[in-house]
Amino acid sequence: MTTLSSYGPPGGLTDLSDFGRKAWDVFVSDNIDAAIKGPDPAEVLNDGPRSQFYNLTKTDTAPDAQTATVSWTAFPRLLKVNSTSDLQRWKKAEASRKVQDEYCEWSVTRTNGKITRATFTCEGPEYWDVLAKTSPETVLRLYRRHISPDVQEGDLFVNGAYDRFNKWNSTTTNGAMHLIQKNNTLAAEIELAAAATLRRVIDGTELTAEQELIKCSRYGQAERNSDPHIGGSVNALARQKADISLADPVGLYFDGLSTEGWETPDGSDPQSYWSYERGDAEHRVRAVYEVPANKGFTVGDITINGRALQFGAQIADFITIKLVAVACRFGQSTTAPQTACRQDSPAELARPEEAFVASAFSAYGYLGTAPGQALRPTRNA
Amino acid sequence: MPEEFSERRRATAWLRRTAGPSFDDRAEGPAEEHLDDDLGPGHPALGPGRLYRRVSGADRHAREVTPQELDTLGDPMATLFFRRNAFPMSVQELLDGLPAAPGQPKVYLVSEAGTIPPDAAPHLRRDIRFAITYAVQGNEADLLISTGANSDPRTTFLQVASWDERNEVFNYYMRVTPSWVWTGSSWDALAAPSRGKGCFDSHINGSVVMKELKQPWLNWQSQSAAIQLAEDDPLREDPLYRRVIGAENLEPTVRSQITRWTRGRLRAVTDGGTVQHPDHLLRQLFTTTTVNLTSTATQSAAVRPDDDPLHLPMGFWLNNDALLDDLELEVDAAVPAAPAALYTEGLDRFGFRLEEKASGFSRPGDTFFAFVVPEAALEDNAVIRALWQQGLITPKFAAAALMVDFPNPVFSADRARLMRYVPTEATAAAGLGDRIAERIVAAAGQLPADSPEGRFAAHWSRPEDTWRADFAQRLTAYLEHVQQRITTADGFDDYVRLAESRRRQFKAMKLHEFELTLPVTDIPETAPTLRMREDATVTALTAQP
Repeated sequence: MTTLSSYGPPGGLTDLSDFGRKAWDVFVSDNIDAAIKGPDPAEVLNDGPRSQFYNLTKTDTAPDAQTATVSWTAFPRLLKVNSTSDLQRWKKAEASRKVQDEYCEWSVTRTNGKITRATFTCEGPEYWDVLAKTSPETVLRLYRRHISPDVQEGDLFVNGAYDRFNKWNSTTTNGAMHLIQKNNTLAAEIELAAAATLRRVIDGTELTAEQELIKCSRYGQAERNSDPHIGGSVNALARQKADISLADPVGLYFDGLSTEGWETPDGSDPQSYWSYERGDAEHRVRAVYEVPANKGFTVGDITINGRALQFGAQIADFITIKLVAVACRFGQSTTAPQTACRQDSPAELARPEEAFVASAFSAYGYLGTAPGQALRPTRNA
Repeated sequence: MPEEFSERRRATAWLRRTAGPSFDDRAEGPAEEHLDDDLGPGHPALGPGRLYRRVSGADRHAREVTPQELDTLGDPMATLFFRRNAFPMSVQELLDGLPAAPGQPKVYLVSEAGTIPPDAAPHLRRDIRFAITYAVQGNEADLLISTGANSDPRTTFLQVASWDERNEVFNYYMRVTPSWVWTGSSWDALAAPSRGKGCFDSHINGSVVMKELKQPWLNWQSQSAAIQLAEDDPLREDPLYRRVIGAENLEPTVRSQITRWTRGRLRAVTDGGTVQHPDHLLRQLFTTTTVNLTSTATQSAAVRPDDDPLHLPMGFWLNNDALLDDLELEVDAAVPAAPAALYTEGLDRFGFRLEEKASGFSRPGDTFFAFVVPEAALEDNAVIRALWQQGLITPKFAAAALMVDFPNPVFSADRARLMRYVPTEATAAAGLGDRIAERIVAAAGQLPADSPEGRFAAHWSRPEDTWRADFAQRLTAYLEHVQQRITTADGFDDYVRLAESRRRQFKAMKLHEFELTLPVTDIPETAPTLRMREDATVTALTAQP
């Protein structure tokens, strides 16, 4: 195998101009380089460098390369743990995008209280930042196609800057164009994967379980589905002394929807009402669950194990999200394990929504913030 | 795999020996004993290329299935293999004989020792099993296979539950080399002669089983935890192992399978407007026919005294699935959470450890995920929901029953007492609940108000427009009491003892197959069985008249 020439847009999306594609490549590559380097040792101890993590555009991927798909359930585990019943957690999840923190967010359309359409997205916000900077007219066109023909430019851009949290993308009822929950960023995904390549041998025992690893390495929150599972899976590859990266195109993707136990009023296949609207066949980033009008029933008439489908959150229970890691040079890494857990100062924890590395544009005449000045993305509680 | 467990699960909890190479009271080895268990004493020698039947409790011993009997079996094992004279002798042969289908098979991995690092216990037998599902017809799985993973596929156990769409039942099979044995259908799980026997010691109500059904799917490879293998474990090269996906995908499959059988069962037993065995249905409301196992979502070994409070599983406190989800009682309380320090200190104080007497293995600490306890089973709750959805009882009747002794969601002697008012003979389906309620209310007139009958009668008398709010208010108050007590050392210790008491009740069930499923403690074996009270205090269970 050879070195990758450039990082492609997530999902193989074709919205970006040539300029935008270059900016995206820089964004991903810079974030990966920053993640390899790790935090400043003067401020954070035992968390770098992550020399088993590598940049596909700068380091060769060896012939023994294997890919590893890591998948998890889209419904937020934190809500599950903190709710007394399914009904309660579904209501909570439907109340705010702020709690949809498993790299999947959704919005539901209802008619007379009954669900007619549920839209799910796993597109990272950074892609939309790049798109808005390089092709703002495309952003407006996509919003009008996928959210509502009523979307106006002024709804999306404030003083010329794209507003991730615009009114068409900030609620659970008015549309979901891309991820906005503060931890749902691609930069956080990259940082998490890189940090998880650090092996931890504490008091002579190598940590191997998801929760003890995440508590020691602090690359996310232990009670999510995604963070500890991604970290644990990546670390398992690291323990095989392999070099690891995120496969191109770097992104979060739908792994699938299971409809076992679902029943439609007319006996039709409930899976047939699930469709993908964005992303290539292997990298789906936008999905819709909707029954065609001519069927004579709606999503809300479908039952799951005898219970009516009342919340988009019930669908999220059956959705899995994935990322794909690539590992090679098995058995060859000479990186010594860390013998202590990460220690850092609270000031080092950044709000991930601020984590877009604006330097992605620096090489092309846009914002010139140096990479070192960018806030570090971390999956926070 | 040693010969003694040939074609059998190594169910360590069933072994009566403490250690050593042989049973102390058996002249014959376990392999022969198990074969007799499965095929019946005096069974004929099995010939290759034939299907036998032996329903434990109903058939004295195995005999060959007749062509007519074979014709009645409509599941994929019968139609794709046995009727075509095909008898796969390994899981791979079985899978090779199935029509190709996208995304199939789905392979899962389970082991009670799976999260114990191999290098920490190199001599511990890990008994890793594959659970495999296959959707042969349509999108729903209709073939569910259980087999040993880290052992010879031709000698390890190979068991199949196969959905028969025509008859709306599962058929159960096991390979006994050189042939296969049909061990019964879902109906045999309910029939008195075979109930609880043979494969129905686990498939208690005729459905497929996944004890650890909910997140974090204790013992299963899942998004919550990985089963760990040694670097050189040959299982890594197994094509089936390479297909393993997380148990989070198996949960919806099992839920769907249970719903499917429950629906078919209700349809059949209420055909013509008459219920043949009302007690068979209502025992799933009033008694604990089986359980699921639930736990916190937190890895026990990772808990530190200064961690955030530990949310103990809701199913420990009440039957939240039935009361809060199905019956939609809206409680206004949080999930009870214990100070982490009380949990970590409790591990030492109560001597928590994992122990496998069969091998002499022991190590301090709780199960991988903290605080595992039995909870009300989906199998039972699915029947309760189906009963009121189909009008045999009302939601209020179900709630009135479940609110009797609700702080004890499993193994409640008080609720079980109400079974005596359930007719055992065929009776009209319409109004069944009302007639049972009349009997209980009539009996309550002669009994103390705090008797189970008296409490049911009080619940039943609640006005139609307020019973939900009334019950929800009581549940809320109860959970608030729990939260107050769980933050105290005495209160938390009471709940540890209560959990252990319930675990011991589960251990008495045949469903408890593997010693490493649950922790053991220093709480004396002679300690009384405990029950929770509505004020969130714990007391010894007293015998009832």
